[in-house]
Formats: sequence, C-alpha cells, structure tokens
Amino acid sequence: MNHSFDRYAGIVFGAIGIFFMAGSSTISSSAYGSSIGANIFPLFLGGCLLLLSVKLIYDTFRKERAASAKASLDYKRFGIIFIAAVLYALLLESAGFVITTFLFLLIGFQTMQKGRLAVSILIAACFSYGIYYLYVHVLDGSLPGFPAWLGLS
Amino acid sequence: MSTIDYLLHGLATAMQWHNLLFVFFGVLIGTVVGVLPGIGPMSGVALLIPITATMTSGLSPEEAATSSIILLAGVYYGAMYGGSTTSILLNTPGESSSVVTTLDGYQMAKQGRAGAALAIAAIGSFAAGIISLIGLIFLARPLSAVAIKFGPAEYFSLMILGLLAISGLAGKSMLKSLIMTAFGLLLATIGIDSVSGVERFTFGVPELYQGLEFLTVAVGLFAVGEVFKTILEKDSNEGEMAKINRILPTKQDMKDSAAPIARGSVLGFFIGLLPGAGAILASFFAYIMEKKISKNPEQFGKGAIAGVAAPESANNAASGGAMIPLLSLGIPSSGTTAILMGAFIMYNVQPGPLLFQDHPQLAWGVIASMFVGNLMLLILNLPLVRIFAKVIQTPAKYLIPLIIVFSVFGVYAVQYSTFDLLLVMGCGLAGYFLAKNDFPLAPLVLGLILGPMMENNMRRALTISNGDFMIFLEKPVSLLFLFIGLLWVTIPLVLKLKGRKVLINEEA
Repeated sequence: MNHSFDRYAGIVFGAIGIFFMAGSSTISSSAYGSSIGANIFPLFLGGCLLLLSVKLIYDTFRKERAASAKASLDYKRFGIIFIAAVLYALLLESAGFVITTFLFLLIGFQTMQKGRLAVSILIAACFSYGIYYLYVHVLDGSLPGFPAWLGLS
Repeated sequence: MSTIDYLLHGLATAMQWHNLLFVFFGVLIGTVVGVLPGIGPMSGVALLIPITATMTSGLSPEEAATSSIILLAGVYYGAMYGGSTTSILLNTPGESSSVVTTLDGYQMAKQGRAGAALAIAAIGSFAAGIISLIGLIFLARPLSAVAIKFGPAEYFSLMILGLLAISGLAGKSMLKSLIMTAFGLLLATIGIDSVSGVERFTFGVPELYQGLEFLTVAVGLFAVGEVFKTILEKDSNEGEMAKINRILPTKQDMKDSAAPIARGSVLGFFIGLLPGAGAILASFFAYIMEKKISKNPEQFGKGAIAGVAAPESANNAASGGAMIPLLSLGIPSSGTTAILMGAFIMYNVQPGPLLFQDHPQLAWGVIASMFVGNLMLLILNLPLVRIFAKVIQTPAKYLIPLIIVFSVFGVYAVQYSTFDLLLVMGCGLAGYFLAKNDFPLAPLVLGLILGPMMENNMRRALTISNGDFMIFLEKPVSLLFLFIGLLWVTIPLVLKLKGRKVLINEEA
C-alpha cells in the first residue's frame, strides 16, 4: 500500500468535500414551497466525504510505513500513447475520424512494439476506414468525415 | 396472464431473427471479452453500449432497448464462460471471478485433461445459467410486487443499503470504497437539478449542464484505465498454453461433477442475489464448500474436477442471480449490473418494480434470450474452444491501441463532444491511479448511476414529512433496510478487529 498516495488522495477528496459543501451554500435551499431544496444532498454528502477523507489521512499517519516494492513502470511508452490519445481526442473533430484514427493507431502500434511497419499501416488503415465505413455508410451513424479542404467529402 | 404466458411471449421476442443475431453477437463478444485478460465484463459492456445504440437505431424505442439489452446481457454472462478458458489453459484468469478455477483447472490441463476441464466448465456454466434463470423467472415478479409498495423513504433506504453493501465488500479497504461511493454520488449532483431546475456546480460550462455522462466515466475508468495499466506495467501473458487433446469429458467426469454443478449453481444464485457479493465470492464459497463436502479433499488443488465444476457453475449462477435485484428493484448489485442499468436508463427504461408492467416485452424478452444465449454458449464453447484459446494470443501491440480507439469512437458516437473525449482520458488516468492504490472503481460508477434516483427519493420523502429526517426511521421497512445496511458495514469491521480474514469481492 502506498501511504503517500493515500495521503494526497485524502487531501484531494477532502478538498472536494469542502468544495461541494461550500458550493451547495450558494444553491437555493427551497423549491416550490418545500423546505427541502437542491442543496441538502450535496451538502450532506460533501460532509461525509470530508469526514471519510480525514479518517483516511489519519490512517496513513497511524500505520507504519510499509516498504513498497517499486515496479518498473514504462513511463516513456505510456507518455507517448497518452499524449497521442489526447491529441487524437482534440483533433478528432477538425481533422476527421479516419485520418486521426489512422495516425493514432500507427503511433500506438509502433510505440507498443517497433517493427513490421507495413503490417501496422495495413491494420491501422483497415480499422480506421473500416469503422468509419461501417458506421457512417452501413449503419447511417454520424462521425466527423474528412476535412473539407481535402475535397473528398 | 400467468408467468408461463409471459415467458412464452418473451421467447417469441427472443426468437425474432434480429434478436437471435443480437444474442449470438452478445455471447460471442462476451466470450472473447472473458478470454482476453485486458478487458473484463465491465469494460466490455460499457464499450458496447454505444455500438448497440447505433445498431438498433432503425428499430422502435422499445424494440431497440430490448435488442440492446439482450446483447449487453449476453456479453455479461458470456464473459463468465470465457473467463474459465484462460484460467484452465494458461493459469491466468481472464476475469476476476475465474481465479478459483485456476487452482484445479490448470492442474487438470497439466495432466492432459484440459479438454475435459473446459467441457465441464461449459456444461456447468450452462446448467447454472438455466437454474438461475428459473430462479429469476419465479422470483422477479413476486419481488417487484413487494417493491411496488415501497414509498420514497423505503426506496432511499434500500439504495443506502445497496451502496453500503457494495462498499462493505468491494476492495481491500472499506473506508476507500465509502469514499469512492460518496464521490460518485457527489459527481451525480453536477448539472441541472431535475426537481427544481437550478444549476449546480456547473460554473457556466455548458458541457456540464446535462451532468457527467455515466457512459463516458465508465468507459474511461474501466476500459481506458485498464489499457493504461497494461501499457505502464507491461502486462503480458507469456505463460505456456496447455494443449487440448479430447474435448468431451468421460462418463466418470460427468458423474463426478454432476452434484458439484448442482450445488454450485444453487449457492451461486443466492449469493448473486445479495447486493455487493457477486461472482467472485460465489466461486470462492462454492470451492470451499466442495472441499468441505468432498470425501477426498486432498484431491483439491491437484486437478479435482469438482474444483472446476463448482466454482464455474457458481459464478455463472451468480451473474444470473444478480439480474434479479436489477430487474425487479432497479438496484444493481455489482459493477457490471450497474453498467447494464446505465444502459437501461439510456434507453429511457427504468428498471424496477414497474419494469414488468410497463415493458413486459423487454423484461421477458431479455429473460428468454438468456435461455437462448446459454444454449448458444454451450454449442459455441464445446467445439470452438480451440479457436477461443487462439484469441488469447492476440498481440497486445494491436489490442491496446484498438481498445483506445473503440473507447473514443464509442463515446463520440453517443455524445458528439470533444469535452467527453477529454473526460475519457482524464477518467482513464484517474482510474489507473485509483485502482492501483486500492480505491475500488465500481462504487463510484454505482454512485453516479444511483445518485439522481437516490436524491429524488430523499427529497420526495422529506417533502412528505415536511423536512423531518425521522421519516426514514419511522417507516418500519425503511428502518429495517438502514439497520441491515449498518450491520453490513459493521460486521466485517468487527470480524477484522477479531483478527478474522474477511473475503472481499474485487469485481464489485
């Protein structure tokens, strides 16, 4: 168990609890003549979350620190894929589904394991266009298509 | 109409050709999801919701809901079948409720009896599926007849009981699961309040007015979170796969496993009924019980067929049993049923006591489809088990980026917003770190789904009582629920203080 993570998580959750409690004081406290308004539920739960977080933080100080075995984490690989995924999400609407998906898959495949570029390109192309075709032309769904300046429509 | 008539009507619905197709795809995808170690039933169901939503877009709302739920339920119980395959062949459980199966299943595979173990697992799952369905048919309607008499105060207390029960059993630390539950309930308050129409915690961000979409959060936490974990921790299954020689079990195998299958099914079904328990506990208890009953307990762990038959039947029966509180009370008892409930709500169908009255076609159609689905699974799994075993070898290189693409595609197809896509990535990151540090994710999703219902019932009850909180204690049924909820949380604490080991449910 990672005590420092628990402590930070406790602080964050506690802050969220306080935040919701404070926020609920600005919400109207009555609705249509009933004395029960929209503020009660979040106020009460924010209090619960705060109390539970305090207990969590308290526990991390009480228990002795256990030596935690550090597993080697592949931050580089994760970083590349995560940034690629965020860019994918951001560019999906402007650059269209097929292009972004193809690029993301290609980066993803090559980051997971280098090599066999041709196979990666083939699979990425099949999936990006395949999903788009199935969804938009067969199932009549709607996805951002190709960008207008490509003139493909 | 009697239950049998309803069931026959349901069967007619389930036998429509498009629904047969949906059952087939559901159980097929479910089996694959169960086999693949990366994705469990929760992320599988969450990922498929948007896809079924578009596949059914040509049907009328009620038919669309029926077909989608049929498919999603198929994924749920199909995953229970698939999970056993990897446990037996690779000693790696494909999903967490098959952990016990590795004990004897892998031993059997090492002795060259992999085929028999797989067949018994499939047959046991089938028998359990049927037994739990019979239970479902006879219990669901009486239970909803009782539940329909509940007022808002009773409902609120029942939901408290459900949430406490899940928090009491989920994960290693009850404190952490309670935190996650409260956090999920708080997240559910974001958006326009459905009673008074005021906006809460939106800060003028238009995307927040409709609240956080449950699908986005679930896909992010479970599917993307698991993918991030695999990338970071270099998960890979390099274990040696056992060979499958003959598939059909011998007569002796059948004789040895008949009784364990029956016992496991019944036990699993009743454990599945309990909120928070679910498939993992069911399989553990079934295994322990078989070991106690058995004439030669020393065989267990060395390839006893009863050690495969009982837990595999139990986890399947539990998944059937878990459908009862969902369908008849509208309260999910595990993570996967919570996500199923989210699917119901997306189709504007409220699971609960009125489901059997308002949507008999849907309710009985889904139940009857489970018969058909279990039969298909048996047929699929016996001859095709070699092919499913091949699925395990899908290289993670291709699988991982594809799961991210499916998550993005699925969320975008339903929400059409970049905000939700970024939320998916954020939830994935949060899901990875929280799960890694023993903060269970299912209570959060459950809180997010139950939050609006719970708040509405609480405010209705308090409006009736003029703001007096004692109404929850004055109504006897409500008091009973709260009391049981309290016991559920305190008993494990007391047991822990006494130094006993408490079984926990990692899935829920």
